[in-house]
Amino acid sequence: MSWRIGVDIGGTFIDFCALETGTDRVETIKVLTTPDEPGKELLDGLHLLQQRHGIAPGEVVSFVHGTTVGINTIIQRKGSRLALITTAGFEDVIELARLRMPEMYSLFCARPEQLIPRDRIYGVRQRQLASGEIAEPLDTDELAAAVAAIRAKGVDGVIVSFLHAYRNGAHEAQARALIAKLAPELFVFTTSEVWPVIREYERTTTAILNGYVHPRVAGYLTALEAALGSRGVPAAPMLTKSNGGIMNAPTGKRACVNMLLSGTASGVIGAAWLAEQAGVGNVLTLDIGGTSADLALIIDGQPQFGTGEVVGDFPLFLPSVSVTSIGSGGGSIAWADDFGVLKVGPESAGSTPGPACYGRGGTRATVTDAMAASGFLGHTPLAYDQIGMDRARADAVIGDLSAKLGQTPQATAEAIIAVAVSEMFVEVNKLVARYGVDLHDFTLMPFGGAGPMLGCFLARELGIPRVLVPHRPGVVSALGGLIADVKGDFIQTVFAAAVPDALPLLREALARLKADGLAWIRQDQGFDGPVVETLSADMRYHGQSFEIEVPLDEAWLHDGDLAAMTAAFHSQHLAIYDFNDVGAEVQIVNLRLVVSGATPRPRPAPAADQPAAMATPARRIEVWLDGATREVDLHHRDALRNGHRFSGPAVVAQQDTTICIPEGFDAEVDARLNLHLILRSEA
Amino acid sequence: MVDKITLQVLANHCRAAAENMAYTLYRTAHSTFVKETEDFTVMVMDRTGRVVAVPMDLGATWYPGMNYNRAIELVDEYRPGDIAFTNDPYSGYLATHAPDTHLWKPIFHEGEIVCFVGGHVHNTDMGGAVPASLSRSLTEIHQEGIRFPPMTLMRDGAFDETILRIMTMNVRKPALNMGDLKALAGALNTGERKILAMVKKFGAKGFMDGLDGLMDYAEHQARDILRGMPDGEYVFADYADEDGVDGNPCRLKLTLTIRGDEAILDFTGSDPQLGSSLNVPTGSDPRHTLLLVGVYYVLYTLNPQILLNSGLTRPFTCIAPEGTVLNPTFPAAVGMRSLTCARLRSLVFGAFSLAVPERMPAAPAGSSSIVNVMTTDERTHRSVIAAINPVVGGGGGMPHRDGTNGSGADAAYLKNTPIEITETEVPIQFTRYGLLPDSGGPGRWRGGLATVMEFKVFAPNSRITVRNRDRSIFRPWGTLGGLSAETSNFIINPGRAGERILGNTDIAIAEPGDVIHIHSPGGGGRGCPLEREPERVRLDVERGYVGVAAAKARYGVVITDGVVDAEATAALRATLRKDVHTTHFHFGPERDAFERLWTARNYDALTRLLAALPVHWRFFVKTKLFAAMREAENGGDVAAAFTAVRRDYPQVPEVLQAAE
Repeated sequence: MSWRIGVDIGGTFIDFCALETGTDRVETIKVLTTPDEPGKELLDGLHLLQQRHGIAPGEVVSFVHGTTVGINTIIQRKGSRLALITTAGFEDVIELARLRMPEMYSLFCARPEQLIPRDRIYGVRQRQLASGEIAEPLDTDELAAAVAAIRAKGVDGVIVSFLHAYRNGAHEAQARALIAKLAPELFVFTTSEVWPVIREYERTTTAILNGYVHPRVAGYLTALEAALGSRGVPAAPMLTKSNGGIMNAPTGKRACVNMLLSGTASGVIGAAWLAEQAGVGNVLTLDIGGTSADLALIIDGQPQFGTGEVVGDFPLFLPSVSVTSIGSGGGSIAWADDFGVLKVGPESAGSTPGPACYGRGGTRATVTDAMAASGFLGHTPLAYDQIGMDRARADAVIGDLSAKLGQTPQATAEAIIAVAVSEMFVEVNKLVARYGVDLHDFTLMPFGGAGPMLGCFLARELGIPRVLVPHRPGVVSALGGLIADVKGDFIQTVFAAAVPDALPLLREALARLKADGLAWIRQDQGFDGPVVETLSADMRYHGQSFEIEVPLDEAWLHDGDLAAMTAAFHSQHLAIYDFNDVGAEVQIVNLRLVVSGATPRPRPAPAADQPAAMATPARRIEVWLDGATREVDLHHRDALRNGHRFSGPAVVAQQDTTICIPEGFDAEVDARLNLHLILRSEA
Repeated sequence: MVDKITLQVLANHCRAAAENMAYTLYRTAHSTFVKETEDFTVMVMDRTGRVVAVPMDLGATWYPGMNYNRAIELVDEYRPGDIAFTNDPYSGYLATHAPDTHLWKPIFHEGEIVCFVGGHVHNTDMGGAVPASLSRSLTEIHQEGIRFPPMTLMRDGAFDETILRIMTMNVRKPALNMGDLKALAGALNTGERKILAMVKKFGAKGFMDGLDGLMDYAEHQARDILRGMPDGEYVFADYADEDGVDGNPCRLKLTLTIRGDEAILDFTGSDPQLGSSLNVPTGSDPRHTLLLVGVYYVLYTLNPQILLNSGLTRPFTCIAPEGTVLNPTFPAAVGMRSLTCARLRSLVFGAFSLAVPERMPAAPAGSSSIVNVMTTDERTHRSVIAAINPVVGGGGGMPHRDGTNGSGADAAYLKNTPIEITETEVPIQFTRYGLLPDSGGPGRWRGGLATVMEFKVFAPNSRITVRNRDRSIFRPWGTLGGLSAETSNFIINPGRAGERILGNTDIAIAEPGDVIHIHSPGGGGRGCPLEREPERVRLDVERGYVGVAAAKARYGVVITDGVVDAEATAALRATLRKDVHTTHFHFGPERDAFERLWTARNYDALTRLLAALPVHWRFFVKTKLFAAMREAENGGDVAAAFTAVRRDYPQVPEVLQAAE
């Protein structure tokens, strides 16, 4: 017997999803996080898996880990002390950023504090041109002086960023070698090694984020390897990446920036796989935890990728699964302003103290308290018995707020849910407008601890006719890690017009990308299965200030078929922006290659076919829903079998979440034990 | 029915509609004005045209308090499927210069209009005398491009091809205009779907009542802020450096009267209508959005929870006399009103700084140069025209922290272009792009630093245009003991042979090898610089934000070898403290010198006198009076100078000079 284990760390819980090879049996558990003793929760979980499900550490052949250690380092500003070396005259690039600021109506608007303050930024004379040509040699005396000054300041590492280094990394490499000689105790990252892409602010920021989290991430991974070893786990740990793939720990220790969004990305990967299993192609995922809600689109079965996802206060310019995060979750606090208008958030009770009804010290009404006071929660032990549910506390805090508003507690609780849902409604509207999709063709997949609580309410608001609640909504991210492929991204800026003159440049770039990609997956990752290469280019019309990614056929480059390349761009442009300009000059900014090696996908046996039957509710419960007290059916998820049907209003309770189903939804369980909720059309 | 506990739900749905329209427009528009500069807006309005919701993520910041009503009324008939439009600054006072094209769409439910959705895009060009249709030197609206009065652009969902053909015939980049118009129309159609979904959810009456509720809510929030300010009359004036090419200063004056929860903004005493295109058309509207942009900033700064819609304009009444720079009469040119609008905002900030000094920052830099280069690519011999980075200055010192460096305050919506992208596309080479040391006004809280940009050109006859140049003479002011900031400048070949200092000049021809230097103003300082902690000054020095000399001279902090000399600092500060100014504002030597001749009293006499003249005489007489005032014989007396002018030009109508 052997097991593959996926683990995802969230704010409150660490989720485990174990998959038995051969049988594809799945077991899941949740353990409370131990922020004071990072790593302990992992061993707790392994212990629990053995105790409950008989999974011996020696049987774990694969261990995939999603961790927030990197992103928390940035959010909590606990990263390394860095210095930055730039081209002289451009020391303020990271402070100026792209100028535009959030909160543009405020005279007090400001950019977030930089990770490297200006007194640890040193300009050095040197210059490469856009062509890569060296216009001025690296002034090694100035560099040596800068290194001396940096050492005097006492830093952990140095980032080197020169203009146009994406085109010619020679000066950066030269600087790195000199720093290694003069200050061997410092680690060094150059922008051309971390992510060699045009746009100085974005490239520099990516390298800085990498250096900033590097010591903590590397330390964490070393400890993780040791902990697993000490428990006798034979598997070398793998890490989930922002791009939805995985990499091994030695790579993760250097290429740390690649794992900053690991948990959110693998949630979408897990959701995409579950959707495929359920036969659904277009999905809006809704992952709600205690403090935030993550939204993502899966179109035709494909998670969407983008760059510029925000990490802490900083944009991350690596290919990442596109996820919109908003600070609205089960712990968001409801309050009344002085005009008597009810607001929800942005303040959150978080995981500590958490909602009042958790009885862990929370004293203010949260969204979860509103759900509890409405009667939806507390009908089964939550989170595998680790959290109690105290309805009386929820009633008390909702009661206090309702007194301030001059409303009944029931109306207040319902309004809190409506306001929270409307906050998400705004974000979904931006997302669909950005992608230009029609939500009537989509299924909402809620997961995470609070997603299924609010999913149907949001679907109703958005006019999404279908909701799909996976069998185990609490561990979708952990599952996502288990099925993720080994995957690396490679980029080369070419910035050329799509004309025959550019072909040698493109072919040369392609050859380099392929060599780098293959070395990464074969040597660094030790992957020996079949490798899939996916080629694309960032292209634009001359004069545009942004690019779109266009999938390419490698043969087009070999055959010099520029017409095929530009045609692909024109049609992609039309699809995204509703217009194109077939006569205009097309530019190829970057060539991209993704190399991936497939991880075996589980094929869990479908539940035995059963004749369709009405599900038998466990009992009737009283809830406040749509302006009235109603008696509704309570179902236990474990009792719902393939083919079972029932209709809303109803509540489904399960270990890791509660599903609220308003009137108008018909529910049906499929062979994977997914719950399909269909909104009856009003016609 | 929408009540207060679900008002936020309606607010969010309205905002969702606005955000959805904004993203749709942003995604489908063609021009860089929309894609990069984000010079566009979209809005949800009530059924009379008052703005109820705007997006918070994308677009420009000027129109949340806009009222489309006057323009809406100028179109005779609305049917379902119609979209109306205008770009005429003098019909309905919606478009405030010709490149701005506003569209609006009535939303029908059961045969009745329940609301409008609308928005604008800044077109790259609308024809007229100069490319891009904008130049300070233009003198009448007819030179600024083709104008369309409010009319039906789309009927039954189809564009009026006649209008499109006329526009195509008259503008320089018709494809961009058409693309953006279609994108905006598409965004409004998206908005219609969102509105109809809201009507279904809340009911038509509930929806319309709810919109009123949202405006009442914003009004309440605005009144609440005003109530928190002391009653009083707060008088402030600010100057644009020049009222035209090589011109005289242009004064904007505001008397802000706060009474309880209401405020009057009286702009009487501002310059007469100008002969250049710096006029701001506001149509005598007591709540015209351009007069109130500064107010939106103040209100949002004091309460970031405020709902931005036209309800918050209700407690405010503006007075801008006809025939003045803030209310010009047809056919005054208005293309470059954005330069004056920046002064108008700092004018409003200054008046509120007098009302609530403890809560307001010092002046932001207040001038963002928009830089374009036309040069030749030596590799291809092709002519290249490109927008380079805007050169933006810092925010003013705040009550609780330094002004934001290099941008901020009312310029925070601007974006830059990466150096690497520009160098790849345009044959120029940057030698510097960063913050300018010692440019922020010294203060307890320092003003944000200016941005400096330098680049080299390689081809002959390279044309550099720099729009919106101002603040190269009069500095962004400091408050409460804080000092004014450094001015902006535009220099060719700084500190080397062939140096040319161009100040506010907005166009220059460069030769091969020339270095073009542009720097913005900085933000003003707030609070006495001698109160700034020496350690913070030392850190500014270490960061290169402040030089050792300035640390000593302005802050009284003596730094030797990177270390604060505490004793010397204490001694120096004691000496310097004897000379600190005690006025609320610190303007700097240039304005002080100007106001020695042009005292507030003299300038008031000037504007009163000019106001008594027919509009077409005013700018002419102002220019002559400025020259006459420089003559010693007139003794700095406006009446004497006027007599001298009438002696030279007996045609000037006689004016009964009213007693003060």
